[in-house]
Amino acid sequence: MNMVRLDKQKFSNFILELSAEYTVFAPGKVGGKTEFVPIRSEDEIDFKTLVTDMSPKGIFFPSSEVLYEYDKQGIRVPEKEIGKPIAVWGMRGCDSRSLLMLNKVFGSAIQMPEDEKFQDPYWKEKYDSSLIFGSACNTPLSTCFCNWFGGGPHSREGMDVFVVDAGDSFLMEPVTGKGSNFLRELTCFADSTEKDEAVAKKLASDAESSMAAPMEVTDLGERLNDLFEEAVWEEISAKCINCGACTFSCPTCHCYDIQDEGKGSRGKRIRVWDSCMFPIFTMEASGHNPRALSSQRVRQRVMHKYSYFPEKYGEFLCTGCGRCVTACPVNLDIREVLKTINAYNKQGITNG
Amino acid sequence: MNTTNELRKNIKSLIAEKKVDLFLGWEKGSLPLAATPLFVTAEDQADKAIFDVTCGNNLSIYFTKDKKQFEGRKVGIAVKGCDARSVVLNILEKQIKRENVVIVGLPCNGVLDRKKVLAKTDGREVLELIDNGDTVIVKGNGFDLQLNREEVLSSSCLACIYPDAQEYDFFIGEARGEVPNEGRLKEIEEFQTLSSLERWEQTRAEYEKCIRCYACRNVCPSCYCNVCFVDQNDPRWIGGTSEYTDTLIFHVIRNLHVAGRCVECGACQRACPMDINLLMLNRKVAMEVKDRFGDIAGLDINGKPAMSDFKEDEKQKFIMG
Amino acid sequence: MGNYCIPQQMKVERIGTEDPTRTLRTYDLSFVNDSDREAFKYLPGQFCELSIPGKGESPFGIASSPTEEGFLRFTVNRTGSVTNEIHYLRNGDTIGMRGPLGNWYPVDDLKGMNVLIVGGGFAFTTLRSLLIYLMDAREDYRDITVIYGARNPDLFIYKDEIALWKQRDDIRMHLTIDKPVDGWNEKTGFVPTVVEEVAPDPENTMAIVCGPPVMIKYTLPVLTKLGFSDERIYTSLERRMKCGIGKCGRCNIGSKYICIDGPVFSMAELKNIPETV
Repeated sequence: MNMVRLDKQKFSNFILELSAEYTVFAPGKVGGKTEFVPIRSEDEIDFKTLVTDMSPKGIFFPSSEVLYEYDKQGIRVPEKEIGKPIAVWGMRGCDSRSLLMLNKVFGSAIQMPEDEKFQDPYWKEKYDSSLIFGSACNTPLSTCFCNWFGGGPHSREGMDVFVVDAGDSFLMEPVTGKGSNFLRELTCFADSTEKDEAVAKKLASDAESSMAAPMEVTDLGERLNDLFEEAVWEEISAKCINCGACTFSCPTCHCYDIQDEGKGSRGKRIRVWDSCMFPIFTMEASGHNPRALSSQRVRQRVMHKYSYFPEKYGEFLCTGCGRCVTACPVNLDIREVLKTINAYNKQGITNG
Repeated sequence: MNTTNELRKNIKSLIAEKKVDLFLGWEKGSLPLAATPLFVTAEDQADKAIFDVTCGNNLSIYFTKDKKQFEGRKVGIAVKGCDARSVVLNILEKQIKRENVVIVGLPCNGVLDRKKVLAKTDGREVLELIDNGDTVIVKGNGFDLQLNREEVLSSSCLACIYPDAQEYDFFIGEARGEVPNEGRLKEIEEFQTLSSLERWEQTRAEYEKCIRCYACRNVCPSCYCNVCFVDQNDPRWIGGTSEYTDTLIFHVIRNLHVAGRCVECGACQRACPMDINLLMLNRKVAMEVKDRFGDIAGLDINGKPAMSDFKEDEKQKFIMG
Repeated sequence: MGNYCIPQQMKVERIGTEDPTRTLRTYDLSFVNDSDREAFKYLPGQFCELSIPGKGESPFGIASSPTEEGFLRFTVNRTGSVTNEIHYLRNGDTIGMRGPLGNWYPVDDLKGMNVLIVGGGFAFTTLRSLLIYLMDAREDYRDITVIYGARNPDLFIYKDEIALWKQRDDIRMHLTIDKPVDGWNEKTGFVPTVVEEVAPDPENTMAIVCGPPVMIKYTLPVLTKLGFSDERIYTSLERRMKCGIGKCGRCNIGSKYICIDGPVFSMAELKNIPETV
């Protein structure tokens, strides 16, 4: 199936049709911030924001999620509140890619493919049935660095349908079978013209060329392994205050804690986002903490994203969305950190 | 006179004369709206230092963040009025010794709240900032916006009475003196006129946004417990979810823990990635402390913090009547 | 599909006390549901998460051997809220359990080999499992040497069994305590020193080490010095495992997750992992 065209006047119809089958999430404003929220109509969508303040990971991996409830009678996994599957409108290429990465951890049981106990039922229930409408970035931000890691402003990875905002219309191109099946059933589309496709192409090349040149990352993992014991980590982490703003805003950070909440014999077991930046993350009952120092924790976060995850799963655990860059209260810019690593040599001299 | 140039000169001579081993200042960050902390240990690094409307970080956090780093070292620190109060509080609370700190006071005209700027640009990215004093110009792709300073200053600055360091070894530039800021409590007064239900709804809506990243706690110079109560798990005092029942307790207890110790620098509110109005409760508590105990946190190096002092004539309903 | 978060229900069958201060207790558990029992297959070195509603979960090495039927054994050191709550359990009470998790000691590779077991303190749990497993097919293995250290005589676990093992002529048992005390007739000194003293010839010998981090840290170089190759030394690591299936990230070191890639690692593997000991 080729690209189709949806005139913006028909967009509210499209959202209605989509809502009939799916619970639709889209970028919206909550207080002064932007995040992905459930929407019912076009008016609730924030079309202006390019990168939302909070990443969409929370749609599939909520910041707190009840694993089960317990009481004297036993254990019950709560029924899903929303009966319909999830559709997401307006997901940028960096974010849709992040879902593929998270799916490697939660979904596909890569550790032991034959053993379904290594799959996460809470993630799969939401993600496997979802429909992702991606959104091309025509004007990338100065904090965007998706092009460092093989992404791009018009990347289609992780999307079911790729959408380009072409001014008075949305041009939609199915990426997966699921995407084309959905589009085929709708009536509000017109076939795209050669002109439409030329517009999409032009927007893509303009967006790509507007981005700063990427840093070379091919041997980043090896460099990091090499520098593990070096003093560079103290230099890098000096100003870090070890809050979790970076990990919580990150679309790919997925570490969590499991906690119980309850009184007497009734309660809930909950998983909540956690952060490797917190000293308590690795604190053992004995009081021993294998990562007691701030520099060790900063190193862990960087190593996990750019060395350990690539070694285990074959790709960097970073999509270059730039959220951690803007969220950091002390402006510890991950791009600067990686540049420092790239320029560092073992004599202890930082070049450039 | 250019404050930044004077500051650089000052840092250079402090390092050259070995009066400090390390100087904490700010340098230009990777984003136009935020400077980033600078650790100067050699003279040539001093030229990176800046002081302007983007220098929001309260650098005194580094005294308590990693105490070992400062053991046996003399440290210089650039301070705004509020930062100086944090340094004084750290000294009064015996976290650092006065003789080991060289305080360089700067005349502060307030710092930016990035989120207020972005609200003005309607979410469009700011690529350049020009500080013209009464106005601030922000530029981005296809826009060029002149904003009144008051529109984009941190709420803490709009309510600030003491923009100058009250305790310092050097003061650069011209002190502004006390600013009356009569409207500083307006927000609290308005809040107090609401019905209890309205107050609850407003508070709940605010703290519902919290994602428990603890950026507010970690940028706070008065929050330095070895193990924060939220991190204790035996016993666990509060749940770890981002439901408002948990987040509200976290924030209220933190408010009380910094009662009489909060210098109202606003670092918490500027750091919050979820744009929670954290300052209002802090300010309310500071107001209560002033009313009851006559104390303003960190203002007087010879004073005693309200919560670590006791006077016989203090109002004590249930003890002294 | 299955849900790894849901614990199986276990019943407390027997509680033993290991030390005079009663901070170390041993629990024998049985399965409440027959189907859970039938599905539960494990090998020495694996661990389970024990689960107390309202308090949470903690990981414990399995101290029983799969050759012992009818119960699963765990020894619980009272240090935190979960272990505290476990210590309140009485016979007949129920407790949640998830497992078996992680990998196991290389029991197949031990066949036809001499085995050196080095343990410290209350980390002897999975080593007990291994020792019983080996003894239940004693003819498959050659010499078995055990070096077990504790701070003082009270802190050895499984004292009754140790006494029995000492009487056997097919195991060499060496016990050691940190500092001499009256009435102690065994060895005195730290585990690494005793290893250097009494370890068997590395020829055809596999060493299995499990104990507190500091013991592991100083024992591994001694084994290397004695001539054990990296492929012949195995150790078991511990971190604050939570999910137990390589997702929550707490036990991540290097590209490994201790809960699924470990807890048992060969020295050869450890050399490529940072932050281990």
